[in-house]
Amino acid sequence: MSSINEALALEAPGPRRRRRLRRDAFLPYALLTPAVVVVLIIVFAPMIEALVTSFYDYVLFRPNAAAFVGIANYVKLFHDPVFWTSLWQTALWIGLTVPLQMGLGLIAALLLNRDFAWRGLARALVIIPWALPSVVIALMWRWIYDPNIGVLNDLLLRLDIVRAAIPWLASPDVALYAVIATLTWQGFPFFAVMILAGLQGIPKSQYEAAAIDGASAWRQFRHITLPGIGPILATAGLLRTIWVANSIDVIFVMTGGGPGYSTYTLPLFAFVKARQNLDFGYGSAIAVTFTVILGAIVAVYIARTMREVER
Amino acid sequence: MKRDGFLKRLAITHIPVALVILLAIGPFAWMILTSLTPSAAIVAKGVSVSPAGWAPDNYVRLLAHTDFLGNMGHSLIVALGTVALGLVVSVTAAYAFSRFRFFGRRVLMLQFLLVNMFPVVLLILPLFTLMRRLGLLDTHLALIIANATVAIPFAVWMLTSYVGAIPKSLDEAAMIDGCSRLQALRRVVLPLALPGIISTGIYIFITAWNEYLYALTLGGRHVRTVTVAIQTLIGEYQIEWGLLAAGGVVGALPVTILFLIVQRRLVGGLTQGAVKG
Amino acid sequence: MSRLKLKLAAAAAALVAGLGLGQANAETVRFWYHFDNPDNPMSGLVQKFEKQNPGITVEADNVPWNSYYDNLYTAIIGGNAPDAAMVKLFAQPRLVEMGALEPIGKRIDAWDGKKELLDNLLTLNAGPNGKQYYLPIQYVVLYLYYRTDLFKEAGLQPPKTCKEFREDAKKLTHAPDRYGFGFRGGKGGWDQWGTFVFSRGAKLEPGGLTTPEAIKANQWLVDMFRKDKSIPPSAPNDGFQEIIGAFKSGKTAMTIHHIGSANDLVAALGDKVSAVPVPKCDGHAWTSYGDESLAIFSASEHKDAAWKWISFLAEPENNVAFVKATGQMPVTKTGSKTYDGHPKRFVEATVNSLPFAHVLPQTSATSDFVNTEWQTAMQQALTGQITPKAMMEKLQGLFTK
Repeated sequence: MSSINEALALEAPGPRRRRRLRRDAFLPYALLTPAVVVVLIIVFAPMIEALVTSFYDYVLFRPNAAAFVGIANYVKLFHDPVFWTSLWQTALWIGLTVPLQMGLGLIAALLLNRDFAWRGLARALVIIPWALPSVVIALMWRWIYDPNIGVLNDLLLRLDIVRAAIPWLASPDVALYAVIATLTWQGFPFFAVMILAGLQGIPKSQYEAAAIDGASAWRQFRHITLPGIGPILATAGLLRTIWVANSIDVIFVMTGGGPGYSTYTLPLFAFVKARQNLDFGYGSAIAVTFTVILGAIVAVYIARTMREVER
Repeated sequence: MKRDGFLKRLAITHIPVALVILLAIGPFAWMILTSLTPSAAIVAKGVSVSPAGWAPDNYVRLLAHTDFLGNMGHSLIVALGTVALGLVVSVTAAYAFSRFRFFGRRVLMLQFLLVNMFPVVLLILPLFTLMRRLGLLDTHLALIIANATVAIPFAVWMLTSYVGAIPKSLDEAAMIDGCSRLQALRRVVLPLALPGIISTGIYIFITAWNEYLYALTLGGRHVRTVTVAIQTLIGEYQIEWGLLAAGGVVGALPVTILFLIVQRRLVGGLTQGAVKG
Repeated sequence: MSRLKLKLAAAAAALVAGLGLGQANAETVRFWYHFDNPDNPMSGLVQKFEKQNPGITVEADNVPWNSYYDNLYTAIIGGNAPDAAMVKLFAQPRLVEMGALEPIGKRIDAWDGKKELLDNLLTLNAGPNGKQYYLPIQYVVLYLYYRTDLFKEAGLQPPKTCKEFREDAKKLTHAPDRYGFGFRGGKGGWDQWGTFVFSRGAKLEPGGLTTPEAIKANQWLVDMFRKDKSIPPSAPNDGFQEIIGAFKSGKTAMTIHHIGSANDLVAALGDKVSAVPVPKCDGHAWTSYGDESLAIFSASEHKDAAWKWISFLAEPENNVAFVKATGQMPVTKTGSKTYDGHPKRFVEATVNSLPFAHVLPQTSATSDFVNTEWQTAMQQALTGQITPKAMMEKLQGLFTK
């Protein structure tokens, strides 16, 4: 792919061109300034503030007793068994939810890309799980999972798949997976929509040429579709990973982190400490640690798989 | 291409799509049934599966006796405002990232990601104090700005990917023909990136529409969004299931209708034949 | 200047001055509350008050219960606290420590309505340092709901002692269709737990949770779940919705809650539901007093107007209108006598439970206990992740000073 530098190297720049060059050099910065400024003020400043708070023993209802404690909060955190449980569960949480959402979304996108009469309606309906507020989804699924009056257990019992109702959200072994299932349901339309848009960028002529050459549907998928949406999949997957890692609305309403700590994730842990126990020093330490860990994973991910972005 | 036989189309397209749709709205169907059953009946006998037990009571109560429509209005203003601000800022940023190689490019891109990795709960207090000092508490602008900061980073990344899929040769062809950079952006790149812009716009809309924490903290009596209104239906000692379900159904309508309209633009073939040879 | 212009200028000046003066007289009281009823019955009371007090405008905001206290603390720290709000006892130690509350003891003493308040309500709601910050506005007391039809079918009487209670629960259990007792293991269930554990001598103080009696009491309850299996397996995650839902559908024969849910249950079950005070364990009864009060915030610039508003709400007639919307019990003597918002048997169960209704000690450790620590430990003990003894030791760790 030619870059602007290569193109310009082919001809000696005249005076007008030179002025334009200098203007163009500033153009990217000019284009970016609004985004950067807004984000810097609104998010970066509070992030730094939270980082500073993590070095203090700061409890919200004792504002005058705040004391600088250096890395004491972090030491306490690494000795806290809840931290390690949350870390492991966060990994499980992300590791299962994102691929499941992506897989289901890919299937949906491929299907909705076909030409059929009621396509518009189908596309609009598929977006509903994503369009509902988290609290409605959490309450709805809590009701569905309820062992006493819920629909799921009712169905399983009728179909004789189980002999007794399963307490989906009350059993520490099952609760996390039940919430993961709910989140998969909530999030797959995101991938469906993003991949659908990406599919539009693949020229139909490629498929036609392949069909003429006798390639099967599967081969067309592997060699035309997948590479065509590769960058989109990589980016959407990355963004969704960050979003899923941070999302606590649904878990909070469905189980509150329980039973015990079996549905705790790191951001939920930070939320409970900061907002419920009002221990801002410790909560900030958890948040910072989480961001660092997630940041490291993201950095590795980008370095290894997203060379396409560097085109 | 030969038209596949009806049975084949049924098996390959219609039935799988129907299954996916069923998966998507199946759990939601329960919600719809709940919203159609009057509250008293829900309490006494449970959700009514047969149409005989249905009545519009919950909807009447929701729309006539509470301020739900007003709340939808507030949500709409905030969501559309966020989409406008978010798209303008993100499209220009994405163009910069995908078309230029400049100093600090990678750092800035990563900074956008970093900003979304931080748990929102710890950003609320500083943001609240900032908005109070600016006198923006309980205004639409506060919510638009707050939501934009959540949506912009993701939107920039997504759009960079979509714009990056458009061959640079197209821009250059336009510039050789005499366009400036910005004109090339407007006339060549934007139309081709339309599917990406639409899906990103939907993403921003949904993110802003469903946002709760900022709406609760930065809003107030003058700006109360749908998410906050729905939460008030969850009381200390009882949940208004009928109203909640009706609120969920009505609340999901704007996005669904919006997507129904814009999805028509999600069609391919725009890049075919744009650059010959 | 022409005479017309002079007149106009004078008129304009007078108007502006008039507006300024008018503004000085018109006060706005910002009030936060949380009603389960979305049809906004607060507006009636606001209108009545504003008629009686021209010059005061009340801006009453219904804040979602789930985030009520989160929002309140944020607003206080962020400098945007309301003038007055509905508050509960568990928040009092923290609010006092933050210096957020205005002492209203003197105002209450000088108030006509003081003699109308039910006896000892003010003592129950006193602040940790002896000052009075809270004005009681409504209350509930937890009692035992039971299914009259299921009890009749099994030939049982509602239990008076914990021994009878456990036996009845076992007899009424026909797993998996029916269980004896619906226990709330999710957030907020400590008030059920307290009936069986605090009554046997456990206390939320240093050493009070790890005495042999306290540990034995907790073991007794966990055994009901793990050994007798007379509690549904969903208990660890069950919240208020689940225990009431299960009770309504006949999945459980007994549960512990209060009059706030009575009307709902009667609508679903009619005569098949009734209530008695909670059973006595080893001769002692303990039940939870569910409080709600009004308070004025120290940062308020309209304290007098705020006091007028909250004392207005505590007057007998207005208080009855208030509790009609919330489904709880009025706090005035007159109101209690004439109150007909609930079927009599539930009012009786409530009033008969008052002698042994208690609140938790006013410390900030209690807030943690109530908000997060109790349910986490209880869930771990119920699911067998830790022993009941370890649970008590864990909770004791909160109360060490």
